[in-house]
Amino acid sequence: MAAQSEGGGKDDIKTHFVIREGSYKLMPQSEYSKPSRVGFNGQANTPVKVSFVDVNDGTSSPDRLCFNVGRELYVYVYKGIRKAADLTKPIDKRIYKGTLPTCHDFNQHFLTPESVLLLVGFTAGQVQLIDPIKKEISKLYNEERLIDKTKVTCIKWIPCSPNQFLVSHSSGQMYLYNEELPCGQTPPNYQPFKQGEGYAVYTCKTKSTRNPMYRWVIGQGAINEFAFSPCAKYLAVVSQDGHLRVFQYSTMELLGTMKSFFGGLLCVNWSPDGKYLVTGGEDDLVSVWSFHEKRVICRGHGHKSWVNMVAFDPYNSIVCDEGTSDVIGPDGEVLPARAPSLVSEGSNHIGKIDSTSCDFTPNSLPPQHPNGRHITTSNHFSSSTLETSTTLNCISYRFGSVGQDTELCLWDLTEDVLKQPYGKSRTSSVGLTGLNTSSASLPRSNSLPSSQKTNNVATVVGNDVSANAYADGHAHPIQNAVMNASSKFATLSVSDRKDTTEKKEHKRNFSLAARNSEKSSVVKSNNIRPVDSAMKLYGTQACPRLDQVPILEPLVCKKVSHERLTSISFRNECIVTACQEGIVLTWARPGKTVKDGAE
Amino acid sequence: MGANASQLEKEIGSEQFPTNEHYFGLVNFGNTCYCNSVLQALYFCRPFREKVLQYKHQVKSLKKETLLTCLADLFYSVATQKKKVGTLAPKKFITRLRKENELFDNYMQQDAHEFLNYLLNTVADLLTAEKKGNQKTPETNHSVKPDPTWVHEIFQGTLTNETRCLTCETVSSKDEDFLDLSVDVEQNTSITHCLRGFSNTETLCSEHKYYCEVCCSKQEAQKRMRVKKLPQILALHLKRFKYMEHLNRYIKVSYRVVFPLELRLFNTSDDAFNPERLYDLVAVVVHCGSGPNRGHYISIVKSHGFWLLFDDDIVDKIDASQIEEFYGVPSDTQKNSSESGYILFYQSRE
Repeated sequence: MAAQSEGGGKDDIKTHFVIREGSYKLMPQSEYSKPSRVGFNGQANTPVKVSFVDVNDGTSSPDRLCFNVGRELYVYVYKGIRKAADLTKPIDKRIYKGTLPTCHDFNQHFLTPESVLLLVGFTAGQVQLIDPIKKEISKLYNEERLIDKTKVTCIKWIPCSPNQFLVSHSSGQMYLYNEELPCGQTPPNYQPFKQGEGYAVYTCKTKSTRNPMYRWVIGQGAINEFAFSPCAKYLAVVSQDGHLRVFQYSTMELLGTMKSFFGGLLCVNWSPDGKYLVTGGEDDLVSVWSFHEKRVICRGHGHKSWVNMVAFDPYNSIVCDEGTSDVIGPDGEVLPARAPSLVSEGSNHIGKIDSTSCDFTPNSLPPQHPNGRHITTSNHFSSSTLETSTTLNCISYRFGSVGQDTELCLWDLTEDVLKQPYGKSRTSSVGLTGLNTSSASLPRSNSLPSSQKTNNVATVVGNDVSANAYADGHAHPIQNAVMNASSKFATLSVSDRKDTTEKKEHKRNFSLAARNSEKSSVVKSNNIRPVDSAMKLYGTQACPRLDQVPILEPLVCKKVSHERLTSISFRNECIVTACQEGIVLTWARPGKTVKDGAE
Repeated sequence: MGANASQLEKEIGSEQFPTNEHYFGLVNFGNTCYCNSVLQALYFCRPFREKVLQYKHQVKSLKKETLLTCLADLFYSVATQKKKVGTLAPKKFITRLRKENELFDNYMQQDAHEFLNYLLNTVADLLTAEKKGNQKTPETNHSVKPDPTWVHEIFQGTLTNETRCLTCETVSSKDEDFLDLSVDVEQNTSITHCLRGFSNTETLCSEHKYYCEVCCSKQEAQKRMRVKKLPQILALHLKRFKYMEHLNRYIKVSYRVVFPLELRLFNTSDDAFNPERLYDLVAVVVHCGSGPNRGHYISIVKSHGFWLLFDDDIVDKIDASQIEEFYGVPSDTQKNSSESGYILFYQSRE
């Protein structure tokens, strides 16, 4: 039994790792799990997901954490990098029989320190709404399983809605519920409402309004995850059929499609500025798709198995706009690209962006109220936050991914990759050096001059138009100008990194090098219309061949658990990961461990 | 059994039940599940089934009995059943198999991969011999590669073995054909990763130096194997049986290796003839238990969009989401006994 367990020892599990901005350290005192860890059978478990909410109670620990493990669901006070709350004293603990919790979501806007709304989805298709603090509410939806009998795969509140939520199932269907409506005693009768390539939307055919309000049928096979854009206007859905589909939520129109290299797509996340989406899937890759250009920008190879969750790090995306330019420094020195100080200071703005960038149109009732008014309840967004966030322009993005290989990868998406034209990869891209290439990296400074001047212009313009840019979903020359203005930061960070990756590549020898010789073919078409055939999309911008887009290598790729990793979230002072076993780990960001133990 | 069969029919539903399709379990003649599981998997490799049935029609009953005629009779028997579900006894096939190869002439559990190999090679040899017989070519010329048979057309791919001399940088490559690929497995990885590992670069140094024709001497070199021609059906054998020297026996490696329903290869050579083939998983031979000579084999197959589990004479419809039960065991501390994918059959989408 133990004979083959080579490398199974504790020692190969990493407890810290170092990247450009510094050292990330595991905080052993900040571990969350169920109070007793006996009887673990990871195989029978549904993936462990983690949800957070800030209840804004004025204390030093306003965050609440929810995770599911096996048939149990826990809610704790989350203390970040400080010593974890007493695990024997959860705020709430639920044990379910016959059906397991699979996913959950806190309502981020309608809450008080004494009351939060938590949605929970289950393996048998049911949905529960609870208040884990007040413990008064407990409503069930799809209780009789008349709406859908299959596993709930993802559940989310409609951004800024007090009562509407979206639930996806492994049946490939997704339902909009209103918390206040009944689910009916009979199976719903549907009538077509909207149709497009690869999807259809139905409404319930009844006199009295009931749940579900809408039923979306998307692609073939399970819907694995969905995510609203930071501006709440767009909905990204990833499915087992390997497609990412992005919809305009209010009009239910399909705006763009991406196809995995092969296999199902398991997870999706939006960049803080809503310009890019990153997906992870059964091809072991992370793929970055540009929402504006409707094309795959690059793929990342680092995982040794399927990618369970991807997330952008809003605190580590380098931005250039009016709001933060003073942070970056008046003469834009080398500092910004790597200085940790930027990261922490900038985070005040970017941190909230998750829910407040773009121009904030909630669309809580999609077809009826396509331009619903801003619901003025969110008490923790100052108006200044909103202002700065609309001018946000990221020029370098950090994202992270966790996989079934038990490894955590962090990635940098830099300007040189973002701006690389389609089909011309493999020349300057990372990770391509052949066997005999010397590892000397070329200084790439040609984009440096004149950036000072454009900087001013660009940011001003950016202020005016970025909201519109989001609205019509197209790339704008103006936005490019902003990109140019900021290029020097990105450039610096790139050449920095180039060094290390090339050295690494050299060791790995052959890699995929000689593909260079293969003439990368001409882009066939701009056709981004969703064609449901994986064969047809192959070789197009929706599913480029391997040699048509750059392959990123991770900044860091570390085994951090014995068990498959199922969740990753980026927070102000830490990264939080969770594994199949139900252990939630907190990794302090560089320079954030000093407060350790302070309470 | 009968109850099970009718239940399966009910579960699929008469409207959904594909026309001209038959799901028949195979009786176990004493540890012949290695054989049953491979036969079922091959039956649901449609191109292979079609060729076998064609063969049956071509040769009629004039031929003397071979393993191939027995296979053809068995497939024909399944395909022409009146009932849609039921059980068959592959008696003639097993008897023939035991007669032809002493390795299988016993009641012990055999390695399903070895059997697959034997079966495909035997069928290919028989076809080659028949072709020669028909053409009445006098002698067999071993230096000339025989014409590919339909077994080769379906399962055969080509690997190219590239060696780069580190002194003169000359790359020499040698091609070799394969009917299946045997890949090493690692804990908590994917079949994709295992295939990448298969093509990892190896450095030949010290006593393993490579004789370079250009340098005319032994040199350090780098070597890697990549796929040059991708087969129509890609059979992947996961090396789950590892010889442990200190135990003096094979043990089973139950590592969790995930395999997607859709697959492309990363480890193709630059001059690959068809590197973009997109494969669909059509069948998996699963080993259950703790060692190569004990335990049990079953197979899961895809037919007309749904998945079936064949466990000797029992046939069940399963949900695609249940396939994950056959990936293996994720933790080293857990038992080695597992139900884990052993041979994967991927069919190219045309």
